Amino acid sequence: MKNLLRSLTALALAISGLLVVVALPASATTKVVTCFRLEKNVVHTAKFHGVCGHGWSKKRPKPKPVADDAVQTPPTASLTETGSTLLYPLWNIWAPAYQSEFPQVSLTTGGTGSGTGIADAASGTVNIGSSDAYLSSTQLAATPNLLNIPLAISYQMIEYNIPGVTAHLKLNGTILSHIYQGQITNWDDAAIAAINPGVKLPNLPIVALHRSDGSGDTFIFSTYLADSDPTWAAKYSYGTTIAWPSVPNELGENGNGGMVSGCAATAGCIAYVGISFLTSVLGDGQTYAQLENGKGQYELPTTATAAKEAAGFTAKTPANGTISMVDGKVSGGYPIVNYEYAIVNKVQSSSSLSRAVRSLLEWAIDPSYGQSQQYPSQVRFVALPVKVVTQSYKQIKKIS
Amino acid sequence: MIVATVTNAYPSTRSRRLRERFFKALCVVALLFVIGPSVWLIADVVIRAVPHWRWSVLTTVPVGVGGGLENAVLGTLVIMVGVLLIAGTVGVLTGIHFAELQRPRRNGKPGGNFLRTATEVMAGFPSIVLGYVGYVALCVGLHWGFSLLPALIVLSIMVTPYIAKSTESALRQVPTNYREGAEALGMSTGYALRKVVIKSALPGIVTGLLIALAIAVGETAPLLYTAGITNNLPSASLIHQPIAYLTYYVWTDYNQPIEATQYLSYDAALILVVLVLVLLVSSRVLVNLTQRYAEGRR
Amino acid sequence: MGDEKASSAKTLSIVSGPTRRTSGLRRVGRLLRGSEENLWRWSTRVASLIPLVGLVFVLTVLAIKAFPAIKVNGAGFLSRSTWSPGSTYGAPIRTDGVLHPVGSSYGAWPLIAGTLQTSVIALIVALPISLGTAFALTERLPQWLSRPLSFFVEILAGIPSVIIGLWGVLTLGPFLADHVYPFISNNTPNVPVLRYFKGNVGYGEGLLTSGLVLGLMIVPIIASTARDLFMQVPPLPKEGAEALGMTEAEVARRVTIPWVRSGLIGATVLGLGRALGETIAVAMISGSILGTVSPNVYGTMTTIAATIVSQLDSAATDGTGFAVATLAEAGLVLAVISVVVNVLARVIVNRTSRHVAPVGRG
Repeated sequence: MKNLLRSLTALALAISGLLVVVALPASATTKVVTCFRLEKNVVHTAKFHGVCGHGWSKKRPKPKPVADDAVQTPPTASLTETGSTLLYPLWNIWAPAYQSEFPQVSLTTGGTGSGTGIADAASGTVNIGSSDAYLSSTQLAATPNLLNIPLAISYQMIEYNIPGVTAHLKLNGTILSHIYQGQITNWDDAAIAAINPGVKLPNLPIVALHRSDGSGDTFIFSTYLADSDPTWAAKYSYGTTIAWPSVPNELGENGNGGMVSGCAATAGCIAYVGISFLTSVLGDGQTYAQLENGKGQYELPTTATAAKEAAGFTAKTPANGTISMVDGKVSGGYPIVNYEYAIVNKVQSSSSLSRAVRSLLEWAIDPSYGQSQQYPSQVRFVALPVKVVTQSYKQIKKIS
Repeated sequence: MIVATVTNAYPSTRSRRLRERFFKALCVVALLFVIGPSVWLIADVVIRAVPHWRWSVLTTVPVGVGGGLENAVLGTLVIMVGVLLIAGTVGVLTGIHFAELQRPRRNGKPGGNFLRTATEVMAGFPSIVLGYVGYVALCVGLHWGFSLLPALIVLSIMVTPYIAKSTESALRQVPTNYREGAEALGMSTGYALRKVVIKSALPGIVTGLLIALAIAVGETAPLLYTAGITNNLPSASLIHQPIAYLTYYVWTDYNQPIEATQYLSYDAALILVVLVLVLLVSSRVLVNLTQRYAEGRR
Repeated sequence: MGDEKASSAKTLSIVSGPTRRTSGLRRVGRLLRGSEENLWRWSTRVASLIPLVGLVFVLTVLAIKAFPAIKVNGAGFLSRSTWSPGSTYGAPIRTDGVLHPVGSSYGAWPLIAGTLQTSVIALIVALPISLGTAFALTERLPQWLSRPLSFFVEILAGIPSVIIGLWGVLTLGPFLADHVYPFISNNTPNVPVLRYFKGNVGYGEGLLTSGLVLGLMIVPIIASTARDLFMQVPPLPKEGAEALGMTEAEVARRVTIPWVRSGLIGATVLGLGRALGETIAVAMISGSILGTVSPNVYGTMTTIAATIVSQLDSAATDGTGFAVATLAEAGLVLAVISVVVNVLARVIVNRTSRHVAPVGRG
């Protein structure tokens, strides 16, 4: 027995020693270089082994500044970002691209929900909070130095998991409001069937999914419901957290990821999910709906329809970025469209941090960098129009 | 003279025999209900994590939706060492106080019931409440932000009662003769403690320390609100720099629709299970080793 | 005569202690040893106060943070069922001097009910398993088998609760929902009380699964304490009972358990305290539905601890701070329940135990 124990000790020590040795940073064998290429005033980056490929160069090119902005070089800093799970996939695409240009900044991204993004940015525990929802007046009153800076335009889809139905069902705000209040409980309800002739709807109970964390998706979804159904507006209103009416067969999920995987596992479910999760939704065999917009038309969630809706609000967007683009009266526009905001405190704890934050945000809104098609298109977002880029740039300049 | 064997006598009535067999069967079933789920649990984690395991998980930091867990592994180890230092010191000293140095009450009973009750109350305290208080008082109140020091303080408060309890019971088991002999030789209490009593109680103290470490390593809720999260490796600063830990990835990534992220969650679970098993096995091994040291043989 | 005086002087000096001619080194040694004594006394005294200071600090901070919510929510907090943050994007109003959103109304009854329900199920599940395991490990199995097998109890104690929650939500829940719950649900007669066991089994997330997993988590606490207690029962009464012809089951029931009854009650109450405060595993398995008490044993629900961990971030978006204060109030309720339960455990153990192990007789 003692020998067994001794050999077990030796084995355990060996394994821990191995783990420690392996955990030391591995040295690179061939050097990986970052190379740049300027094409149509857009900067592309790529990694090569040893030498840059044909047409690429090691020197960072300077594109023509659009809309009067320029990306400043940041000092060495360590930034944290957290918040909206709708913007999170785009941050995960932006972060490596930004860090390959400016390796002196290390960026940690997180997807914890817009509520956390706002709260952490307000308390100063995070440098940049992402949110699909703009700041409320009470939040601004509590932390007057907060800015909400539009970074991108995204939109939300209503997805469902009905075995046997692959068509894009037509749904409107009134029906959705009744589903989430428990007045429509089955997929073959007359109200749904009436606007979807020709689709065979099964007799399947609806399982309504909502976000249990503080969520910008809840904010824009509840805004759509409140705009469409006065009863909803009166009883539940809109916000990042609302008191969901208790409905048989409802489930609460964390994050957009939780909504998608929860809906995939539940037959008959309906959920509101950000468009950046489209690949996961389709990969799980689910599909999404056509929604009725302010003009009574039923539109699919595509970059084109979202861009149309956003274009209808560009002129009205105020300097501080606070505007709701949901359910506008735009012909051909998709109804649930929103700005993605970076919630930042005007006063950062050190000047190196503020310079790094400014650099990152300027990079993100620059049409040659963060807004160039290669990034937002991967998550199906719409790039910011030039007027909003200028306004965001002015807000970024206020960070000190 | 015949000495009748009276153990395991054959019970007279059928109902008693049945009850006896039922009891034995229930005990075995109960044991299976403990062994079965533990084995199922570990097997489930292994089955989920091993098919997609890459050794680079231990050498890369999280990148985008996938990557590795180097930051979390090193962060967990740093937290472990920190808790060992802080909670270990405070807990062992508290246990010594309860077992040895308290002034007895006048009626002869051991004193200090109030302090002992307070310590045991902290043992069962809800961890999320401790995490919230740590966030409010330390991270926001003292402007430390998410960082290592609030995490260590909160975890130490959680774990100190366990160490104190096991130290106290280990010290109580040291025979009185040792203490009496030490006093007869003229040793002061402190000297006797150091050279005689603690040495004999070392196996129990070490076991308590390692079990407390296993508890600290597995906590999520208090760390969510005090340590934050970062992709960077642990830095030397105690405040203003968040630190990563393994349980974060298990809690956050298990239900993500992107597979690379889910695998990260399972990998973190596997590393945690291995870490806890190593701690438990080493506690048993160290008990054997320190037993010989405690009894004076080397 | 002079010699006698000299020798008696020497004798006197030995008896009365060292004279001033002691070497400096000896005096430093004596000083250090004396202060070592004081060092031990004072450092242990300070250390033993730290848990108490921590407890008082935590309760004070909670009370301060919760005070605005206590003023506005009032006593109905414990009996209301709504959980509504109100209209956070509208203009806030002032009640009793506390700023809060219009329409905000919080009630913790479903949380309290969920906490109590899961803890009761956990105790019902854990008690027989723990006692059976303790008996199996101490009485029934030989030493060479019981030592490795008790390792499994330590594994259950040491495994992080987030991993147990992961297993519960991804493996155990679906397994139970596919194979066990339908069997129970279909075969329970439709009678008033038993109707609680009939219902839509869903996908395994809910009250019963949470209770089972929680029970599994508190088994190590009760089992290891019970095992230590059983080992401390002196063999004489047990042998005497066997000599009288009692079977092992009867020895266990009539001799061992009454001997350690107070310790067992203390251990059970400690397990209960742990079950009340368990956060992460329950948050993963319970389905996180606020505002309703589950209508049957399979429904989704939430507990106080799980609510705090899942709602804290969204509560922080309420710019008036009222939602966070309400969560602090819920946390205060949980903390008070936990303190009361643990103090009760100590009181029961102290009052009814006859065999407190004194120092040195282990």
